[in-house]
Amino acid sequence: MPFELVIFLAMVGVFAAGCFAAKLPVSLSMLLAACAGLLVSGNGLPVRHLVEGTFGYVDTILVIATAMVFMRTVQESGALEALNAVILRRFRTVPALLLPLLMLVAMFPGMITGSSSASVLTAGAVVAPVLILLGLPAPVTGAFIAMAGILGMIAPPVNIPAMIIGGGIDMPYVGFEVPLALLTFPLAVLFSLWFGLPHVKVVEWEVLAAKLDLETYKKYGIRLFLPILVVAVLMVLGKTLPQVFGMGLPVVFLIGAALGLVVGKRFNILSASKAAVNDALPVLGILAGVGMFIQVMTLTGVRGFVVVSALSVPPALLYAAIAVSIPLFGAVSAFGASSVLGVPFLLALLGRDQIVTAAALSLIASLGDFMPPTALSAIFAAQVVGESKYSRVLVKLVVPSLVIIGWALAFIVFSKQIRALY
Amino acid sequence: MKRHHATALAVTLLALAAAAAASIRFLDHRKPEPIVRGPGVTEVRMLSEWLPDLAGSPGDTEVYVFRGASPGSSMLVLGGTHPNEPSSFLSAVLLIENALVSAGTLYVIPRANASGFTHNDPQEGAPERYSVALPGGSVRTFRYGSRATNPVHQWPDPDVYVHAASGQTLSGNETRNLNRGYPGRADGTLTERVCLGIANLIRAEKIDISVDLHEASPEYPVINAIVAHERAMPLASQVVLGLEFLDIKIGLEPSPKNLRGLTHRELGDATDTLAVLMETANPSQGRLRGRTDEALVLKGRDPYYVKAQALGRLYVPFDENGHPIEERVGRHLSGISEFAFALSSERPDRPLEFAGVPEYGALLEKGLGAFLKPLP
Repeated sequence: MPFELVIFLAMVGVFAAGCFAAKLPVSLSMLLAACAGLLVSGNGLPVRHLVEGTFGYVDTILVIATAMVFMRTVQESGALEALNAVILRRFRTVPALLLPLLMLVAMFPGMITGSSSASVLTAGAVVAPVLILLGLPAPVTGAFIAMAGILGMIAPPVNIPAMIIGGGIDMPYVGFEVPLALLTFPLAVLFSLWFGLPHVKVVEWEVLAAKLDLETYKKYGIRLFLPILVVAVLMVLGKTLPQVFGMGLPVVFLIGAALGLVVGKRFNILSASKAAVNDALPVLGILAGVGMFIQVMTLTGVRGFVVVSALSVPPALLYAAIAVSIPLFGAVSAFGASSVLGVPFLLALLGRDQIVTAAALSLIASLGDFMPPTALSAIFAAQVVGESKYSRVLVKLVVPSLVIIGWALAFIVFSKQIRALY
Repeated sequence: MKRHHATALAVTLLALAAAAAASIRFLDHRKPEPIVRGPGVTEVRMLSEWLPDLAGSPGDTEVYVFRGASPGSSMLVLGGTHPNEPSSFLSAVLLIENALVSAGTLYVIPRANASGFTHNDPQEGAPERYSVALPGGSVRTFRYGSRATNPVHQWPDPDVYVHAASGQTLSGNETRNLNRGYPGRADGTLTERVCLGIANLIRAEKIDISVDLHEASPEYPVINAIVAHERAMPLASQVVLGLEFLDIKIGLEPSPKNLRGLTHRELGDATDTLAVLMETANPSQGRLRGRTDEALVLKGRDPYYVKAQALGRLYVPFDENGHPIEERVGRHLSGISEFAFALSSERPDRPLEFAGVPEYGALLEKGLGAFLKPLP
């Protein structure tokens, strides 16, 4: 048995024991697993590696924390409920149109920022109450917006996993718009109807009105939506005029949060911010723990063992290896899976159309955001819909994830034919 | 004190202690390793002389100048564009400590991205330093850095990096990649300003040829190769032949026109220099590597790369002997010497002649330490 496998088993064993036997938080279990890897590999306990590993997620942590603060202010100001009322009043009678529309709305922040968390925590949080009022159960609603998160992350114009994979072979992020659109938008329509149609019902406005807060909108009017509008505009400007508006998502969210303070109902910003960060803390902790885990995997050679093992399969099983290993490695991070496995697999598929193949690999990598323990998209979706166990959301995503893998693999197999279409 | 308060206090103190311990290491990483000024160095200047805005910034860096007794052509060697590619930096150090220029002028920047030497890439598990033993028993220690500028010096990264001159988009972290920021701009990021400083130097000093030294992971297609701007292709072809005579096999790739921000494209387009880039094989930066440590950096041996070679996944031969640092530095130095020779052959009225550069065979035989000077 290779020594790297021994180290890996020790790390996984300590992680499982921490989570399930000692009932420790996932983040602490990851920390202990990283320490176990260091000790078993004979590296001692170099604190520098543990700290350095966490730095890989500093930017992500800031985005998540500020997005949570922004959404809390939108909620507390009354804007969220008012927006739900407006959407339902206009579109409740045409669910077959409303569902794909809501899916696109929920995808939008991910399309602009490349972050599934940004999608789920912002537009996802706007769309979720509407879906629940339309009759979708909370876990299904969670699955709907979690799916929107990853499809938004992959849809054009911004797809960071594709940029990472392309960057690994010096392929510029040029010409990806069409294959990414072909990969994601049909799936977006399909899954919006998949999750929504079995549950959605046309409800009389009077019935809905009784459940909605209509007073806040009457009192403050359209200015309630100013924070959401400003954040959306700044996200777009950050993409189109980055030299002027490239201020970064955390600042954009903080500007939105500041506006939320003055446009609607008054609330205590300190309490709201504290509650928002408190909600995000478990995930932020997991990210820090995962950072340490990856650092130790790389340091000890476990990462190389995993990657070379995935590449060692016979050519006939290469697609199976892609389908299994990339989402599994995504458990540590979708972006990490793109870099560590996406690049070698793209190199192993050099005979295919490179752009279509990289785009398809990025779609498979995005499934890492459904993979425990990080499962960013699913965890935040569960939080947004008030579902205490995110596993209930994850269950609804299993079959759609298999459809995504099949769809992406078909794009790889027929990459040249797809390229010839446009 | 309630129990959970005591726990919180204990955890906070533990976290602070860990942060303090790590901070000491991180701050220590900022101390530059000494480079011994060799007998051929006539001046040591700073890059900020060509872009004053860089003065005092973490991007400012030494430029070693070797002015020959007689005039001739000029060459700029860029080491340390990516500080996680040690043969690039070490080749520049060996030039500085050994080269003697008789005709023309040689400029060497050993730490082109000085900021990148001050940290490691998160989640790469890289060693902070590596040491080389010298024949007299002393040891020279060098920093292993990051591919990119330190985020402490340039932060935050945008979600998407837009190359200013072309509008080409890349992943946001490429904003800190020196070899994506050329030709640079005065009001840009620190990385882009360093690029501009180098481009200004090339213009002001009328550099005839610029050689950017790199390493690549063994699974990367452009490896053990020269990448040349179209104007530099004839010269680079001669160098490939020259290296073949030395039994050094090397590929020649044209600089892609649609891949922007790199030295071999932008410096060739924006200045009159002949822009080339050289790559050697470095397993310590690859995704397939096993245990990451100082031995991997220096010896270049890795069992997982041997396995990957057997699987046909690599673009460079890889056996149990790996690719030791002597081989990688030797390839770079031989390439530089051949470029000087080819340039002198093309322009006999303006030769670039230098001696004292460690030869490939001698490096393999005696080791790197034999050509490093002991610290005073």
